[in-house]
Amino acid sequence: MDKNSAESTSPKVDAFLRLFRALVILVTISGLAWLVYQNAITTDTKHPFKLGLDLAGGSHLVYEADVSTINPTEVPALMEVLRTVIERRINIFGVSEPIVQVEKSSFVASEPHQRLVVELPGVTDVGEAVAEIGRTPLLEFKLIDESALANIQAIDIINSSIASGSVNISSQVEANKDPYIVTGLTGRYLKSATLEFTSGGGGSLANEPIVSIQFTDEGGQLFQKITSENIGARLAIFLDGEIVSSPRINEAISGGQAIISGSFNPETAKELAQNLNFGALPVPITLASTQTVGASLGLDVLQKGMVAGIVGLLTVIGFMILWYRLLGIVAGLALIMYVVIMLGLFQFIPVTLTAAGLAGFILSLGIAVDANVLVFERMKEEYRNGKGSHEAAKVGFARAWFAIRDGNATSILSAIILFWFGTSMVKGFALVFGIGTLVSMFTALTFTRTLLMTLPDTKRVTGGLKSWLFGSGLSIK
Amino acid sequence: MFSIIYKNVFLIIAAVIMVGSIVIVATVGLKYGIDFTGGSLMEVSYNSAPAKDVVSAKIETLQLGGFSVRESGASESDKSGYLIRTRDLSDNERSQLEGVVLSIGEGSHVERFNSVGPVIGTELKDKAIWAIVAVSIIIILYVAYAFAGVGKPVSSWVYGGITILVLFHDILVPTAMMSLLGLFRGAEVDVLFVMALLAVLGYSVNDTIVIFDRVRENLKANRTERTIKKTAAGGVVYEETEYTLTKPFAVIVGNAVADSLARSINTSFTTLIALTALFFLGGSLTQNFALVLIAGVIAGTYSSICIASPLLVAYADYIEKKTINSTKK
Repeated sequence: MDKNSAESTSPKVDAFLRLFRALVILVTISGLAWLVYQNAITTDTKHPFKLGLDLAGGSHLVYEADVSTINPTEVPALMEVLRTVIERRINIFGVSEPIVQVEKSSFVASEPHQRLVVELPGVTDVGEAVAEIGRTPLLEFKLIDESALANIQAIDIINSSIASGSVNISSQVEANKDPYIVTGLTGRYLKSATLEFTSGGGGSLANEPIVSIQFTDEGGQLFQKITSENIGARLAIFLDGEIVSSPRINEAISGGQAIISGSFNPETAKELAQNLNFGALPVPITLASTQTVGASLGLDVLQKGMVAGIVGLLTVIGFMILWYRLLGIVAGLALIMYVVIMLGLFQFIPVTLTAAGLAGFILSLGIAVDANVLVFERMKEEYRNGKGSHEAAKVGFARAWFAIRDGNATSILSAIILFWFGTSMVKGFALVFGIGTLVSMFTALTFTRTLLMTLPDTKRVTGGLKSWLFGSGLSIK
Repeated sequence: MFSIIYKNVFLIIAAVIMVGSIVIVATVGLKYGIDFTGGSLMEVSYNSAPAKDVVSAKIETLQLGGFSVRESGASESDKSGYLIRTRDLSDNERSQLEGVVLSIGEGSHVERFNSVGPVIGTELKDKAIWAIVAVSIIIILYVAYAFAGVGKPVSSWVYGGITILVLFHDILVPTAMMSLLGLFRGAEVDVLFVMALLAVLGYSVNDTIVIFDRVRENLKANRTERTIKKTAAGGVVYEETEYTLTKPFAVIVGNAVADSLARSINTSFTTLIALTALFFLGGSLTQNFALVLIAGVIAGTYSSICIASPLLVAYADYIEKKTINSTKK
């Protein structure tokens, strides 16, 4: 025994100090557990468990943005505009805590893709959600190449007159030349839209509903540039990919104002103006994937996961006590500490829990005792060689450290790579896996160690009950 | 230690297991889920489910192309339902399908709907392969680094290389099992499967490293050092330390395996306890995940005891023979 340590002054003080430490540790576990539990059952807590869509129920939509016509340097800014527009749109129909984020396909993909990920907790009617987002209009201004358009129209006429004939030449010509030239002027530059009515004159009817749009400063300049360079040409206004009107440019237009006229009635014009005010899409988007989980299914997965976790935890503790006896109780307490710290981290970081993350957590319950097992096995060797239990523990920790370090380092590195590569589902798993490795290492190295030192120092030669308690295996001897 | 003494037997068994697994994966193949192929999956539940033929006939009328209907593992005990797989559906087609399947049973409810476009599917597959490759590379680098200076008779890169070879075995076994599960139970390879494989990687490397770590420690404890002064060209004097093992390498490795045997078995046992709980109680969603991991953990424990260490000794023997032969010439 170490003569310099405080515990060795007298057996009574020694015993008292050990008891005190053990109590401090047990009170700490209980206190933390109580905190986590209180936080979990309080309904309006600031730090609730954050459940992923697959547990809480909801929809996960991935939109693919078509940025093929956009200058690559402008893409990030444009995606940000797209994100803001969609977010505003979602906020209108009142989803609590929606997540809208831009996601670039990783560098391993053959072609880069720009995506928008929309997560709508609680929305399980995916049709409704898609329809709501789809109501965000896509506004584009394109110049018309008259000769190309004339060609296509001519071919259409030929095709229709042939009527189910064997020749069809249109597709080839269309592929060669798109009659609509992208100008770069889109809903991105929209500032506001208002419903107005024509005053008549200039060949148009009076009291026709129109939508007057005001561009932003940048948009106004672009509009002026386009109109001044293309006097005499026609500028087609596309709404959601359909032409609504194609007025001829008579003169350069400054001031950043344009008018969308077409076959509107007052209601449709009003709706368009409203939708444009909520934001118009700067680039076309298509729905690439959807994932919807009903609330009852999610709850079911969560409940079953919890039952599996509790049974797993208790069985692991049971096995540890059966095999390692007194040390097993220490390992069991350390494992409970591990669970409490993990649950606390889930609440306070917070970590979004998914079905995969939950499965990873349950898996980690089995792996978390590994550091303890490593130390105990090492301790046992020293103990057998006649060292006292405290000395054996110290040597055991020192010897086991390299194995613990190397084993856990590779696990943490793997978790980082997983997190880096992963989609949101994989990220949830990687985070639980990585944090779990760190926390289990921490509890084994600090907590188990302190607890072992609070146990009375015993030597193997003393025999009897104490010696049995420090042994391992299933034998009674 | 038995696994070192009968190392040839164990290495042959390992070779048979690996070849067998490759044959299974190659002939049976893997059944990829919509995560990777793209497509749609709808889970619908009823108070009392209509017959499968009725559901199929109804879906047939929509002309959505190829589809499959399978009974779903009851997610709620009082309900039963079907999993309907189709190609990637547009929103319009989805609502048509929903309308049709909801109309044919009482208390019908769409539990979940997943739809993955083909581009995202392919990308996910690439990502999964890259993740596995990147994790393997990191592991080999780390092992080579951590075991640098382990010295003779085997260099640290060999420890890294053997670790990877063993990892290959540990991934192959659950993958072969997944092939068979796909054949007999219709199990599909999805993102969860890839995560399970990566967790197996992590577990298996941990197990192998712990044994190698013991080998390293025993090597240090059982060798004598001798420092020799040498003069290099140009008159620079440098010191070189030569190590001589006091026991045969095979014995040292054998003792290391024996020393860490209890730990290996106990840790895999606790891990298997947790996984068994997940398999039986955790619900149908993560059942295959648990099963893949159970196979992986068993393979990982077996391989670090009965493949990694024998291989280390076999390699050392091979090096020894080679040096003897080259000195003879």
